[in-house]
Amino acid sequence: MRINSKFIKASCAAIALTMASGAQAKLNIFACEPEYAALAKELAPDAKIYSATTAMQDPHQVQARPSLIAKMRQADLAVCAGADLEVGWLPMLQMKSANAKVRSTEKGLFFAAEHIDTLDKLDNVDRSMGDVHAKGNPHLHFDPERLLLVANALSSKLVQLDPDSKAEYEAALADFSTRWKAAISQWQVMAAPLKGKKVIGYHTSFRYLYNWLGIEQVGDLEPKPGLPPSTSHLADLQNRAKQGDVMAITVASYQDERGANWLGERTQLPVQVLPMSVGGNDDSQDLFSLYQSVITLLLNLNK
Amino acid sequence: MQTFNFRVSAVAVACAFVSTVTLAQDATLTNPAISGVLDGYYQNTERPMAEREEGFGLGHTELALSANIDDMFYGKLTAVVETHGSETEVGLEEAFIQTLAIPAGFSVRAGRFLSDVGYLNNQHVHTDAFTDRPAAYRAFLGSHYFDDGVRLDYVAPTDLYWAMGVEAFKGESMRAEDEHGERDFKSLGVYTAYTKLGGDIGDSSSWMLGLSYLRNENGRLTAHEEHEDEVVAEDEHEHDHSHAAMYTGENTYIADFVYKWAPRGNYKYQHLTVSGEYFRVTDFAPLEEHVAGLAEPHGAEHAPDDQTGWYVSSVYQFSPNWSAGLRYGQVDTQELHDEHFDSQKLKETEVSLAWHHSHFSTVRLQYTNQQGTNFDGIEDDNVITLQYVMTLGAHGAHQF
Repeated sequence: MRINSKFIKASCAAIALTMASGAQAKLNIFACEPEYAALAKELAPDAKIYSATTAMQDPHQVQARPSLIAKMRQADLAVCAGADLEVGWLPMLQMKSANAKVRSTEKGLFFAAEHIDTLDKLDNVDRSMGDVHAKGNPHLHFDPERLLLVANALSSKLVQLDPDSKAEYEAALADFSTRWKAAISQWQVMAAPLKGKKVIGYHTSFRYLYNWLGIEQVGDLEPKPGLPPSTSHLADLQNRAKQGDVMAITVASYQDERGANWLGERTQLPVQVLPMSVGGNDDSQDLFSLYQSVITLLLNLNK
Repeated sequence: MQTFNFRVSAVAVACAFVSTVTLAQDATLTNPAISGVLDGYYQNTERPMAEREEGFGLGHTELALSANIDDMFYGKLTAVVETHGSETEVGLEEAFIQTLAIPAGFSVRAGRFLSDVGYLNNQHVHTDAFTDRPAAYRAFLGSHYFDDGVRLDYVAPTDLYWAMGVEAFKGESMRAEDEHGERDFKSLGVYTAYTKLGGDIGDSSSWMLGLSYLRNENGRLTAHEEHEDEVVAEDEHEHDHSHAAMYTGENTYIADFVYKWAPRGNYKYQHLTVSGEYFRVTDFAPLEEHVAGLAEPHGAEHAPDDQTGWYVSSVYQFSPNWSAGLRYGQVDTQELHDEHFDSQKLKETEVSLAWHHSHFSTVRLQYTNQQGTNFDGIEDDNVITLQYVMTLGAHGAHQF
């Protein structure tokens, strides 16, 4: 395996050398989550992109494992959600990878949350409130308007790091924006029947999606952010569900379904696993199909 | 002048306060993280060479402050408060700076810090899944080896993680026992070199291997000249609780591995860690010219074996709230008595069960069965510890 990858790298280097010196610099991008790997792919199609996590992994609890240190060591740009989502592992990766390029947002570090207004910012944070994010909810990739702002900012960052390819990055951004705006209009029409629906969720993973579509999350399987569902808390939710206005129980692709299933059996409510990111189910291959898949799954519940 | 100074420092204090508040609002990686670790326990008896005493006690109570100093330097200060009997000791476990901007994967750390030899040594003890370090660590590294010195580390630009480094330390806590108190120790006592390799196997598994070498210039024992040390040998166990290594040698070789598994790489609900380390400590006997008298009657084939120690540990976090650990370890050491070496062996089988209400709180019950051939005067024993370890404040991330 290793010999192969070395061989490939060596041949890539050889090809690069034989090509004209004016050839486009190929950025090496380290994405903390797959949604940002997908966004980087839209905006810098030629870049070498690595996603540190998958849609099946809770991005709050990632190990600063050796493979990630090795990848970050080689990165020109690290793209992360920010708002402390990666606070448990990103600083360790930065320290261990000894790569000054991705240490500060002035250079090759990019936090999506710094370029938008996050929802649910807190003035006072105390651990008794659970594992909360003072800087607001970091799962912002499910708000298409905010994601467009992030795309603009990320494109500027790409230009800053690789000014020679400015025209290519701007063209990619224009292309993405056009397609994305068209998709937003379609999704809004498509998702219209979901407006005003109520769900019980797990964590505030889909806060932005529900905010955008006008869905209300009336209960959370977590008694407090970061704490697993407890039996007494689930019993409370069972009482809440008796009001009869809840459409479904939703969990993200990396979340445990047991609590949701327990509640689903007792309330006759459907339990729906939604892909948290690109790769979260078979349909979600890029950002467009991710949105399409989530909205379709929610609409199917409403039938 | 004094008023002026006072004003300046008042302003400085105010500035420091204001900037802390601002940074707390704008918390990112540059935010100074202030954290405390509270560790309390009840234990029915003692483990050999361990810090925890019988009865109720406080363990590794820690107060840490860390931040990026500027774009070039990161700094961390860790003070540890430990109680031994009625004594309360405040110690500095870490006070280091580390470079952030040296190119090409190099970094330098200087000050007081945990050596990067082995797997567990650079981890803070409060992250362990057991109440004490394995016997090999307690025997050869004084539980965890931190010291004043400097480190140069390099991470290779390869997809396979490959790091290597060298360290130089003062080495006071690694000095061989000096019963007569008249030995001239080298002030630059310890040098280390290590390399670590690591990677992933699919989505679910990750691994790391390490090899370390520790050269201890002061690791050789002093030859006995007179036999008037009966008393010293007797009250050895009553020594102050220092973090000094109990058994030393000139050369220490450490091999370590760690393997972690989580379903699809998702550590939230369950994960398994298997790790192990092997120690070999050589060249601890006094140099031959001093021991000529003692070596002759036995001949060369009676030279003592190398001192060794190893452990294998497996910890399974089977739900967000519960984890269980199983560890087996042993250590074989040589103790110099008068003119000959006595070999000693300690075997420990340990089971721990921990309840985690959140990432920040742990309550642990641990049972240790120890069997030794007269190790530290302990024959066999069953040790039960009930412990809590809780962190408060902005605690930094932990290593793999």
